[in-house]
Amino acid sequence: MTRLFLAAALATATLTYAENFALRGVTVHPISAAEVPNAVLVVTGDRIAGLGAKFPIPKGHKIIDAKGLHVYPGMIDSASVLGLSEIGSVRETQDIEELGDFNPQLRTMIAVNPGSEHIPVSRAGGITASLVVPAGGVIGGQAAMMHLDGWTWEEMTVAPTAAMQMRLPSQETTVTGRAFGVGRRPYTEVRRRYEEQMQQVRLFFEQARAYQARKANPGLGFKPDLRMEAMVPVLAGKTPLIMLAPRERAIRDALAFAEREKVRIVLAGVREVDPFLEEIARRKIPVVLPDLYQVPLEEDASIDDPLDLPARLAKAGIAFAFGSYGIERPRNLPFQAANAVGHGLPHEAAIRALTLGAAEIWGLADRMGSLDPGKFADLILTDGDPLEPRTQIRQMWILGKPVSLDNRHTRLYEQYRKR
Amino acid sequence: MNRRLFLSSLALAPLPAAAPGAILIKNAKILTVTKGRVDGSLLIRDGRIAALGTEVLTPADAATIDAGGGYLMPGIVDCHAHVGADAINEGTISVSSMVRIEDVLAPDDVQIYRGLAAGVTTSNVLHGSANTIGGQCSVVKMRWGKTAAQMVFAGARPGIKFALGENVKRSGSGANVGVALRYPATRMGVEDVVREAFNDARAYQRQRDEYQTRVAKGERVLPPRRDWKLDPLVEVLEGKRLVHAHCYRADEILMLLRAAEEFGFRIRTLQHGLEAYKVAKEIAKHGAGVSTFADSWSYKIEAYDAIPYNAALCLRAGVLTSLNTDAPVTQQRHLLQDAAKTLRYGQLTDDEALSLITINPARQLMIDDRVGSLEVGKDADLVLTDKHPLSLYAKVQKVFIDGEIFFDREQDVRDRAERAARRQALLEKLKPAPPPAQKKGAR
Amino acid sequence: MRQLLGSILLLAFVAVAQPPGAGVLAIRGTHIHPASGPAVRNGNLIVRNGLIEAIGPNAVIPPEAFVVDGAGLQVYPGLIDALSAWGLPAAAARPATGTNAAPSPATPAVLERRIQTLEDGGPEERPSNSSWVRAADLLDARSATLTAARNAGYTTAIGFPGGNVFSGQGSAYNLAGTRSRHMVIADGVGQMITFPVRGFGGGFPGSLMGIIAYVRQIYTDVDHYRASQALYAKDPRGLPRPPYDRALDGVIASPRLLLPAGRLAEIDRMIRFGQELKQPLVLYGGAEAFRGAPLLAAAKVPMLINLRWPEAERDADPFLKDSLRVLETRDLAPTGPAALARAGVKFAFYSGGVERAADLRKAIKKAVDAGLSKDEALKALTLYPAQIFGLDDRLGSLEPGKIANLTVIAGDLFDDRAKLKFTVIDGVKYEPAPEAAPETNR
Repeated sequence: MTRLFLAAALATATLTYAENFALRGVTVHPISAAEVPNAVLVVTGDRIAGLGAKFPIPKGHKIIDAKGLHVYPGMIDSASVLGLSEIGSVRETQDIEELGDFNPQLRTMIAVNPGSEHIPVSRAGGITASLVVPAGGVIGGQAAMMHLDGWTWEEMTVAPTAAMQMRLPSQETTVTGRAFGVGRRPYTEVRRRYEEQMQQVRLFFEQARAYQARKANPGLGFKPDLRMEAMVPVLAGKTPLIMLAPRERAIRDALAFAEREKVRIVLAGVREVDPFLEEIARRKIPVVLPDLYQVPLEEDASIDDPLDLPARLAKAGIAFAFGSYGIERPRNLPFQAANAVGHGLPHEAAIRALTLGAAEIWGLADRMGSLDPGKFADLILTDGDPLEPRTQIRQMWILGKPVSLDNRHTRLYEQYRKR
Repeated sequence: MNRRLFLSSLALAPLPAAAPGAILIKNAKILTVTKGRVDGSLLIRDGRIAALGTEVLTPADAATIDAGGGYLMPGIVDCHAHVGADAINEGTISVSSMVRIEDVLAPDDVQIYRGLAAGVTTSNVLHGSANTIGGQCSVVKMRWGKTAAQMVFAGARPGIKFALGENVKRSGSGANVGVALRYPATRMGVEDVVREAFNDARAYQRQRDEYQTRVAKGERVLPPRRDWKLDPLVEVLEGKRLVHAHCYRADEILMLLRAAEEFGFRIRTLQHGLEAYKVAKEIAKHGAGVSTFADSWSYKIEAYDAIPYNAALCLRAGVLTSLNTDAPVTQQRHLLQDAAKTLRYGQLTDDEALSLITINPARQLMIDDRVGSLEVGKDADLVLTDKHPLSLYAKVQKVFIDGEIFFDREQDVRDRAERAARRQALLEKLKPAPPPAQKKGAR
Repeated sequence: MRQLLGSILLLAFVAVAQPPGAGVLAIRGTHIHPASGPAVRNGNLIVRNGLIEAIGPNAVIPPEAFVVDGAGLQVYPGLIDALSAWGLPAAAARPATGTNAAPSPATPAVLERRIQTLEDGGPEERPSNSSWVRAADLLDARSATLTAARNAGYTTAIGFPGGNVFSGQGSAYNLAGTRSRHMVIADGVGQMITFPVRGFGGGFPGSLMGIIAYVRQIYTDVDHYRASQALYAKDPRGLPRPPYDRALDGVIASPRLLLPAGRLAEIDRMIRFGQELKQPLVLYGGAEAFRGAPLLAAAKVPMLINLRWPEAERDADPFLKDSLRVLETRDLAPTGPAALARAGVKFAFYSGGVERAADLRKAIKKAVDAGLSKDEALKALTLYPAQIFGLDDRLGSLEPGKIANLTVIAGDLFDDRAKLKFTVIDGVKYEPAPEAAPETNR
């Protein structure tokens, strides 16, 4: 109770401008290096200035005594729709899926609603940034890395196009219906539709390549095409495709596709990945884990499925990150990571996948994901292991600014506690 | 014990006899939930807890299990699940109190095994929330491998599912395409259905009483028709059947409490009750319990004010509170984790957190004389974990029901390869013959 | 065109056929399997006026008999399809409704505010009920399915109307005759319950548990109906008149109840349900009879086995592999009959979902290959169904006085390559005939 009160008090002290500060007496977990107990961490402006057991605190820095507490980099959700959706059952609150099959030109960041209640709720769970991923059709649009703080989407944006969302046409014959029902579509029909759609996909990539070539030598009358323009960094290998591929054949398709089109991919939501572990590791393809709160994939699946998946990926030497795939559960990502630890993933690997590992996958490790001088001061201050619910998150900074942990839930809690 | 067991053996005994003999579980950190922690041993005899303490004399006939310093806690009770049944909703009508989950228990549902493997030993298997007055629920022990009759928690008080709010009025709104409109379409209509149903139940009760009176007087009268729909509602009026009501919003919770009070009965539990914290005082005064989710929210309008502090606020207000899964909506394997979340949201103590999934749901189901805590005389429904069960790093190692081991992680892990091989062999054996090559000229 | 051809063919064999009861037929020097006793290696079988007159090595062939040389042939009792739709209109054409109250699907009443009246129940009172309908009344002597069935060696069916929860009463009938009324052996042999799970949109009952609750209420209502009628019949004065209810009358007229059960859990569930209803019970389905045999034996409940053995879905997704449980059932289902025989459970085969009657013998052979003795297999096709439906005083075995239904094979019945030579139905010989039109089956 008192602890919570403390957190609330800190929260109300939120500043609207960055104030230079230093944490003292804190155990620093840089992720990029071993933890440093009873240390100093200095934040100047929006960046980390330095850290160490004896790191000198420069002038003009407010000293925060954090004895017995721990500081970690803020955690990153590598697949959410934060800000694109508010209430699951209400169509009007959804901005996730656009019409049409090929929409690489869509810029997700501009639709992220900074006023969404889900943003502060997720922050309270220790999440400071998220890759916001659209969906729909084959290419759903540009996935943006967003800070979970900012007055506007502009202020929130870390990287407008950290990835391009893509999903190959489905070959799934199982259709999940309403009210616990599951239906089946005839395989031949599914297969035929799939082949037709794949034809379209190949055609689209051919067109994009033709455009890329024309653009390299633009003749008279060359007219930029917004859709094709958006594909250029993908074809150039600058922007990876984030491809949702849960089942075996979807993974196989995605791997074959990446090879054929010579594009970089990040596999997301993989479940039946075991036959490809060696290949994925060899080709250095990163993976965004599926929502680990899903049920075992089939009746005969082990009771540990998919909780033991991260351990298998780690063992195979595959880089991975955690993703919540929604709005409701980003705050549970550290708990999912803990479940993975319970099922064989080393603890350091779990925390890394929530921080530096994620930043590396999205090409942002130069500015976020670990506590290194020059990086964003995205920090969480905890009273223990950040993966355990027993631990309280005491304070958060994003870009060096103390950020409120107050949210819709704490507000309702405080309000009705007094009733 | 092992998943295959179910296929090969089928006990014909009508009711499971508690495992005979004695088992001593030693070297355990025993979390009794109601009486603190005891580091020592627990003795099971004839399916019951015979003794527990730092020093327990080992009877000569006892088999011994070394817990290896692990934690022993009571079997988890899930007050709201839809597992182990071949049907969940009779959603065609607004009052379907004649239907019974017990009629459709499916002991071969793998979800039973999965729940068991997570330490769940008792589940309240409920009708769905498609209609205002749903079907009769069934309290079961997760005796994987046994028959439907052997699953039933003998002596548990019968119950019935009610449901309020968005789900039940959906069929009246036309939102379900292709499904005929069904009264009610509003929360007003939902209250009306409840009051009308109990108005009818009262009339039916009077008709039955009147018949008895007239027969007693020696009159010649036709017996009233026995109505399986109204019978359970009369049992509710008589306090013999527990009402478990699915609800979300504070207004509808209060409505139901008042409607029940009007007809002189009590709501036993408010299921989900995501806004229960707003009317916790009224709920406590009525005497209802709340069985809620840990942290689900915002998936529909009526879940937008759901907060993870609900359990803590209700508990602090003196409401008998538990956490449930609604499995398969959320999973039974996360119940321990759900309980652990209350350490963060509301800062409950360990015992309070554990009580939300053990003794409290047992009290809500009125089976706390049998299960829900580790006390001498209670059923030996036990869960052995390697680490503290409220740590997310813990894994369930063994699960006992009535003193019998129903889940053993080592065994499960051992069986995996063998099961996979058996499946593969059968897939090969039963591979459909390739279609015959087409003959020329054949059409 | 095809239809026309069909009619011509049909007329062709009808012309050859005699009405039951005419003439004398003798099969000489043949191998006879009576089903009720040991085989007769080299004997004669005499049929007179549609009934079996004599069997044995020394049975005297009357001079007026039409004699068939039985050398190389094996004579069996006419095969019985224990739960059939042969000769009945296609399921879709069968009465789907038929209620005293609202038609089924029975939703309109739920639109009203009033949800219950004590006088006449709600929308859940009598939907999906045609309990009074008898298969005998639906039987079509010209149905193309009859030819196909005879070609497969069948002479008799226990046919049931379908489509409703209470679909109606089964009737036993022969698979040939000029008029359907001559074909019928027994008109009401049982009430078949089906579980048409329709979900939310089709009116009550829409779920398995709704159907079970509904069946329970009907049987409770039957008790009440009987009690009320008895009281009223004793002395009507001063008593309200009990309403006429053909849905309940149909149930009362049914001597036994047929309930569906495939999985072990369902076999267990339906045995207990039948016991609760205190009805003579027969289960049908039986995919997991190999697991449920001890339960059936303990409860002394007969089982009708669907000859469509569980198989992989058609056009199945090659990436979705069936579960171990499903695979084991598929693998072991044909061992069910042998398990039932060992456990002493009375069982019979039915055509079920087998689409081509021609495939039935192949399906039966699977059970034999899986350990069922030929003797038991024969009984499950003849004597046992007759016993299960209480017709073994006239049907099911080759004994003097019984109906002269024979299946004659040029070889062993359980060798699916051995050709059917002819069938005898009510004493009339039918050669295998070209099949007229595609069959419609359940």
